[in-house]
Amino acid sequence: MLDAVTATAAELTVEAVSLSFGGHRVLKEVSMDFRPGQVTGLIGPNGAGKTSLFNCLTGLYRPQQGRIALGGQSLERMPPARRARAGLSRSFQHVALCPELDVLENVMFGRARLGRSGWADAFLPLPGGRAERAEARAAAMDVLRRLDLAAFSDVTPAGLPPGTQRLVEIARAIASRPRVLLLDEPAAGLNPAETRQLTAVLRGLVSPELIIVVVEHDMDLIMQLCDRIHVLNFGQRIASGTPAEIRADPEVIRVYLGDSDD
Amino acid sequence: MPEAVSVLAPRATAETPPLPRRLTVWLLLGVLALVPAVAGGFWTYSVGVCMANAVAVLSVGFLLRYGGEVSIGHSFFLAFGAYCTAIVERELGLSVGIGLPVAAAAGAVLGIVFAWPSRALSGIYLAIATMALALSVPELILQLGPIAGGYEGLYVARPLIPGVSVDLQRYYLPLVVLALVVLLLARFRRSRQGLVLLTARDHPRAAEAFGFSRGYARLAAFAISASIASTAGALLAFAASTVSPNSFTLSTAIYLLVGTVVSFGSLGLAGALAGGAFITLVPQLFAAWGDWVPIIYGAALLAVVTLGHRPAEVLAALRARLGGGRRDA
Amino acid sequence: MSDLLQDLLPLVWTGIVTGCLYAMGALGLVMIFKATRVVNFAHGNLAALAGFVVYGLTQAGGGIGWIAAVLIALAIVVLLALVAYGLIARVSEASDLRGTIATLGISLVLQGVVQVVFGADIVNLDLPVPNWSATVAGLRVTSYDITVLAVSGIVIAALFLVIERTRVGIAFRAVSTSAFASRVCGLNIHAVQGLAWGVAAGLGVTAALLIIPSTFLSSTTVASFMLQSFAAAVLGGFSSLPGSIVGGLIVGVTMNLFSYFVTSELSATFLLVLMLVALNLFPGGILPQRGGGSRA
Repeated sequence: MLDAVTATAAELTVEAVSLSFGGHRVLKEVSMDFRPGQVTGLIGPNGAGKTSLFNCLTGLYRPQQGRIALGGQSLERMPPARRARAGLSRSFQHVALCPELDVLENVMFGRARLGRSGWADAFLPLPGGRAERAEARAAAMDVLRRLDLAAFSDVTPAGLPPGTQRLVEIARAIASRPRVLLLDEPAAGLNPAETRQLTAVLRGLVSPELIIVVVEHDMDLIMQLCDRIHVLNFGQRIASGTPAEIRADPEVIRVYLGDSDD
Repeated sequence: MPEAVSVLAPRATAETPPLPRRLTVWLLLGVLALVPAVAGGFWTYSVGVCMANAVAVLSVGFLLRYGGEVSIGHSFFLAFGAYCTAIVERELGLSVGIGLPVAAAAGAVLGIVFAWPSRALSGIYLAIATMALALSVPELILQLGPIAGGYEGLYVARPLIPGVSVDLQRYYLPLVVLALVVLLLARFRRSRQGLVLLTARDHPRAAEAFGFSRGYARLAAFAISASIASTAGALLAFAASTVSPNSFTLSTAIYLLVGTVVSFGSLGLAGALAGGAFITLVPQLFAAWGDWVPIIYGAALLAVVTLGHRPAEVLAALRARLGGGRRDA
Repeated sequence: MSDLLQDLLPLVWTGIVTGCLYAMGALGLVMIFKATRVVNFAHGNLAALAGFVVYGLTQAGGGIGWIAAVLIALAIVVLLALVAYGLIARVSEASDLRGTIATLGISLVLQGVVQVVFGADIVNLDLPVPNWSATVAGLRVTSYDITVLAVSGIVIAALFLVIERTRVGIAFRAVSTSAFASRVCGLNIHAVQGLAWGVAAGLGVTAALLIIPSTFLSSTTVASFMLQSFAAAVLGGFSSLPGSIVGGLIVGVTMNLFSYFVTSELSATFLLVLMLVALNLFPGGILPQRGGGSRA
């Protein structure tokens, strides 16, 4: 399914990244790594900087200092469209599917970048383009089946429940054959049953070559889903470790208990 | 969850259009093919111009549909295609058979030339820029000097196929090209690039995240739209047999938008014909009350925009009805 | 060198004079945009209609005094602007672009009405000021110039005073910053938006009546005058009132220079290029924004 990647699949690393808006520092020399074959969670109280860091990863923000790299390749100056070519893919907190396309077509869009067909193929029934379209269709359908979404392939997303829309977004991201999958609050707006389904689907995606990064508020989801967790507070990384380690970390407990006192 | 599916609107486009719609298209083409045999010269001429204008309406509709942008400057690309054809005939002695492909290709380039500096503009800024584009057309034509024939304009007289009635050619060429453009656009909807443009229109950030920048989407949408407009210009020049600066004013461009809006932004044959007919026949039918034409157009525009839904929504609703409401669970 | 200066000075001067009028047109466009997020393509047609009403009342058989005619025209146009706002308010909440398309519809209707009522002829309409001119430091200054500068100066100053100092002005600023928040705070945003349309129409009428004597009046020419105002507004960032004044002056002066030194037959093309260059160099407008700019 996924591209064959070199034996030692590359890590996504963040090194001493600092970001400020008009003198206000939202990220202060943050360093962390995200490993292939793992789901890594990025958590922190409101205003901790986790969304800012996520936006640095996707390319919406450019950090003033520091380095973001996938394998040896620097990402921090790359615009979002080029990061896709480097192997990054993502889902959105507010579902960003095209309402005019059906579910299958939305997933096919996910792999549009992989296509080789030119403008002539777009308008004319040339054999190359036809073959590629059939292949793209089959591949997209495969992804839908893997995520148990095949039944929805020919409906438009607007009428689907939020949980299903979120899964379609993840299917679209997976269809682009990413090396890094960035998920922006995937459980936002989902009910408990949908969240459980999402957890199962995401666990099923884990593979040795894929880096999965999840920014999330839902602590239960994070604890069940993630292999490793990074905790941010006031723009700094305060802890990293397995869910059990994070649960036991006194600093994290202080931050979260303090937070819930408010 | 499947019960949620059953209440969904049917999908907007099927891989192959449902049978009733294909039948309508063939029926319409059949009727159009018979017009010259049953109607007089005047109506043959008028319907020919309708079909050329239908292609022009498609060009504005394409930009609205795939770019999500409103243009009131497409008279620029229309004029370019028309003059391209006329100048190719006058200077090189070649017929519309060469002039039209040249216009289509050069039109795409011209679309990119305009879209590049305006790639960062959206919505209102682009609309204003296209308004300036439309207002610059007549003065640019006059700047071309004798090669463009000045205020008088140029004639397009050379037949495509020597020895066959030119009047018939002036009718059938627009018909064939219109059918072709509709067919190509239907194919485009299913293409990789079509999916990209539609997603970029609704969620530019999603398109970026999947490797397609806003600039790419804008340039592509404009290039195709301008190429269609330029083709339409070549057809208009051939169908009407003359080109002159005063047929490409700001009003021309706004009327094209009117045609697109009253056809609910359809990129299909029937919709494009309705839009083309509206902007061609209203001035002819109301020739004696010419001053009322802008009022009719303005009222039609207002009626559709205020009473109708967004063009895309109306289109989807119409398609749903015409498509026979295919449902799956 | 002094020859060049001799050429330049009058060009800049008349550029500033017409630039004030473009600025006034742009101010109306920007007010409407700030209040309702709609670009009013009917702005010029409303102004042209006022010109024709004044012409009809004073010259074509009317015989009413100039000031009375202007007041009647102003009343008609402001009323029409409110009707237009009423039509568009319902549409523009769905999407800005739809509201903007609706203004195109209104502009077509108004153009048609002018043609039906007044015909497609070109007419002249002068200001009731004595013809007078003086030469100051080698510069020829006419009574028309003085009138334009005085009227536009007073009108613009009054407008800024109202916006900066009065309750209505605060309400306008609140609505243009965030219509939603203003509604939450209990402001009657429809009243404020309607007022913006009315005032904008008044500005357009004033600008049109002042510019018609320097050119002429027909049912379609005002559209090209509007392009200057649009360009001025775009240069200013489309959300900035001071920006549109600076934009107006830039458009007035540079257009004058361009038509004198290059050609007078490519003015629309010049404005197109000017706008595209300005938007690429200064994406937020030539003046730094105080926030409220929206372009993405």
